Amino acid sequence: MEKILTKKSFPNWIAKLATVQIYAPVVKDDLWSYEVVDAAGITTEYTNAIQSPKKIIFPQRELFLEFSHNDNGSPEIRELLPEDKESIIFGIRPCDAKGVSHMDKVFGGDFEDSYYWKRRNQVTLVGVGCNTPPSPNCFCTSVDGSPFSHEGLDVLLTDMGDNYYVQTFTKKGDKLVNMSKGLFAAPKPKEKADLESLHKDAETKLPRHLKDTKKIPPKLKGLFDSEIWDDESMSCIRCGICTYLCPTCHCFDISDEITSHSPLEGKRVRTWDNCQFPDFTMHSSGHNPRPDKASRLRQRIMHKFQYFVEIYNNYQCVGCGRCISKCPVGIDIIQVLEKVRDHV
Amino acid sequence: MSDNVYIPKLSKIFEIKEEVTGARAIKTFRTQFVENNGFSHKCGQCAMLSVFGKGESMISISSTPLVKDYLQFSILKTGRVTSALHEMQEGDVIGVRGPYGNNFPLEKWKGKNLIFIGGGIGLAPIWSVLQTALAKKADYGKLSLFYGSRTSQDIVYKEDLKELKNDITVHLSIDQKEKEWEEYVGFVPLNVLDKKPSPKNAVAITCGPPIMIKFVIQNLEALGFKDDQIYTTVENKMKCGIGKCGRCNIGMHYVCKDGPVYSWAELKKLPQEY
Ligand SMILES: Cc1cc2nc3c(=O)[nH]c(=O)nc-3n(C[C@H](O)[C@H](O)[C@H](O)COP(=O)(O)OP(=O)(O)OC[C@H]3O[C@@H](n4cnc5c(N)ncnc54)[C@H](O)[C@@H]3O)c2cc1C
Ligand code: SF4
Ligand code: SF4
Ligand code: FES
Repeated sequence: MEKILTKKSFPNWIAKLATVQIYAPVVKDDLWSYEVVDAAGITTEYTNAIQSPKKIIFPQRELFLEFSHNDNGSPEIRELLPEDKESIIFGIRPCDAKGVSHMDKVFGGDFEDSYYWKRRNQVTLVGVGCNTPPSPNCFCTSVDGSPFSHEGLDVLLTDMGDNYYVQTFTKKGDKLVNMSKGLFAAPKPKEKADLESLHKDAETKLPRHLKDTKKIPPKLKGLFDSEIWDDESMSCIRCGICTYLCPTCHCFDISDEITSHSPLEGKRVRTWDNCQFPDFTMHSSGHNPRPDKASRLRQRIMHKFQYFVEIYNNYQCVGCGRCISKCPVGIDIIQVLEKVRDHV
Repeated sequence: MSDNVYIPKLSKIFEIKEEVTGARAIKTFRTQFVENNGFSHKCGQCAMLSVFGKGESMISISSTPLVKDYLQFSILKTGRVTSALHEMQEGDVIGVRGPYGNNFPLEKWKGKNLIFIGGGIGLAPIWSVLQTALAKKADYGKLSLFYGSRTSQDIVYKEDLKELKNDITVHLSIDQKEKEWEEYVGFVPLNVLDKKPSPKNAVAITCGPPIMIKFVIQNLEALGFKDDQIYTTVENKMKCGIGKCGRCNIGMHYVCKDGPVYSWAELKKLPQEY
């Protein structure tokens, strides 16, 4: 559905929503970050958060199960699913929401990931579109996105000056509006037209562009043994920031943490892992299929722009620009992709 | 609880056999689920074994699916989890989840001669398919096995191999000369070249260290085997086993899900990154 919410009524709506837990961008240690907030802490004026809200659905560390030894010394295990708790992510950017819909594909399919889906099914995504790009490295329009894309979103807000234009796309989204029906008005034809031109206009404001992205996946196929990977990865210090901050990166490790040796007690945990680390693929024999920085950069680029496209027919990059802004040595995925595209 | 793919099923080790001792120790374990469940595997599939407090390891199921009341795993001691497994006693309980991966297309091979070629612990992944074909011998042509290890001490399934010789041709080899060794001396790929198995109406199934596989395939090609007559298994580091943790891929394939069994025709087309 489509509705108009005045900025004056906005706090009243938020107060209604605050019956469930709300995550929204707040300033923490000088950076925008998605945290649990109370209704008063919510704003729609923020730049790009340092981390996407991916961490709320797919936390950096989460518990899988508890184990212990019983009196006979035999193991007993107990499943530890996330708690029953509805929440709202308020102010997720359209690119990050699209990132969530990519993660849905990975954690769904033949083997559904119970931990991911328990969280995912309990969260409602309320997006705030980008009238002006929130980061100097935004390039969503180059990877099939837009500053007002609603892929993955339940609700999208567009700032129209005095009002918000509110669009809902799912039952979950409808519910949030229906909770406070009286606050919302039907949009007038003029408002609809304004929305359209505002969305069009926003698409022209992107600071970064990657031309002919379509040419990249087929091009990559022939570049497995290219010198590009050596050249472009030379300065990488394998810190892993590019992947940890990426809203679509999903690689993880599973390990056991012991809290007591005798009797044995502990937990099996999932933690984010990173394809830029050497031991990510290293066998215990020492053999490593991706032994150097070049092969690991190649994996990051090929996964996002070839393999994921082959499997799901989408780029596994939503153009948020975080990996560019935060790489300590200035490795720029757009520039790497341009080299790929223009390679002869 | 049962639909959570990450929760292992408790399983009791009821038999442990010491195959090889020393630095590259191998033990064979037979396990039975503590509670009945619908676990049933195909030849070539693997399972994720848990030692609680240590972690998980992906191991090939080396028993044939025709045997329903236990699972067999042969495990080389190399790191944290496999060392912990080697310390386990009969009666100890581990976790098992799976089965994972694709399987050998045994149905497709009916009527063909099957040549099994294994090296070291690499006999384990092909043991289930070999045993299954053997049990249905009438369905297949001639069965034969090449198997090599570093020394005569390193041979796995010693007694089974002796018995196997009554049923099929077995070509054993060790890497270096030893006093009482009467069979072939030299690497497995050379033994294959020496015995010249015919590619006619045949399929070769090979598993072992990557370097062995590479030369076996080269030599099979030299003997006239076509790419789709050669099958192998790929090992990449694994954590989830279900195509999500992102580490075992070669190109768009997750080996845990889309592998580990590949024909050389298929594997050749993927990036050579394993
Ligand atoms: C499809 C497949 C089938 C296998 N079948 C057998 C078998 O039948 N018998 C056997 O002895 N070994 C087999 N392996 C190898 C076995 O999984 C590793 O040797 C084992 O995981 C090492 O674990 P670790 O904790 O002892 O070593 P560590 O070095 O302590 O390893 C830590 C973790 O890294 C991972 N890991 C390290 N090396 C490997 C590897 N080569 N493959 C997969 N994961 C790895 C595991 O998750 C392991 O828990 C197989 C591997 C794969 C991928
Ligand atoms: S952020 Fe930059 S330096 Fe760090 S791993 Fe990624 S490419 Fe390498
Ligand atoms: S690859 Fe970089 S730009 Fe693309 S989604 Fe990930 S962090 Fe954002
Ligand atoms: S083991 Fe996790 S993706 Fe294959």
